Amino acid sequence: MKTDYLLPNRYKKIGWIIFVPAVLLGFITLVFQFEPSFLDVKLFALVDSSPFGDTNYLGLTETNALDEVLSVLIIIGSLLVAFSKTKNEDEYITKIRLESLVWAIYVNYIILLVCIIFLYNYAFFYALVVNIFTVLLCFVARFYWKVYTMPGGKPYEK
Amino acid sequence: MKNSVKVERAILDLTQGQLAQKVGVSRQTIYAIETQKYEPSVVLALKIAEICDKNVNDIFELEETDWSK
Repeated sequence: MKTDYLLPNRYKKIGWIIFVPAVLLGFITLVFQFEPSFLDVKLFALVDSSPFGDTNYLGLTETNALDEVLSVLIIIGSLLVAFSKTKNEDEYITKIRLESLVWAIYVNYIILLVCIIFLYNYAFFYALVVNIFTVLLCFVARFYWKVYTMPGGKPYEK
Repeated sequence: MKNSVKVERAILDLTQGQLAQKVGVSRQTIYAIETQKYEPSVVLALKIAEICDKNVNDIFELEETDWSK
């Protein structure tokens, strides 16, 4: 089956290599508020607004770049893992892929609804940070679970 | 939708893997079709019928429940 919107299979391995360490490091960073000083840099910002200061447009902003780097790596890694073809991509896999996407959207917004109703202040802020990635994480988890537990994985049947 | 892929495959003495290879899908897909867990696309149904040298209607058959989906 022709699926022009998927990447070739070889990108999947690259995706896993980027994705797994980035997620682990991202989790550690979020829990321990880890900010190495060598990543304190000035970066270009389209808009830079702080709660107690002015809003600046098209300028430089001082920040610790670890969260930016990790976010970019997690998103690129999970996109590669999610949307590279499996070794035997066919129409049945495509069906599982589409079902998993719908499932991931449902789960993501149910989680978000619960967070909106029950979390406040910083807790809600952290939930939003995690929510950036949950659609892709839910999709990857559900899709691979379904693919690896696909019925008919037994030895050849006559 | 009922189908007789398993019977036709047995007549041709093909394994699920061999039929899968001929029509360009995975063995799990053939298994899913045979156990009615997956309804193939028109193209795949036509390919299977061609390999079996039959008409699609001889292999795939609508059931009463298909009309109420």
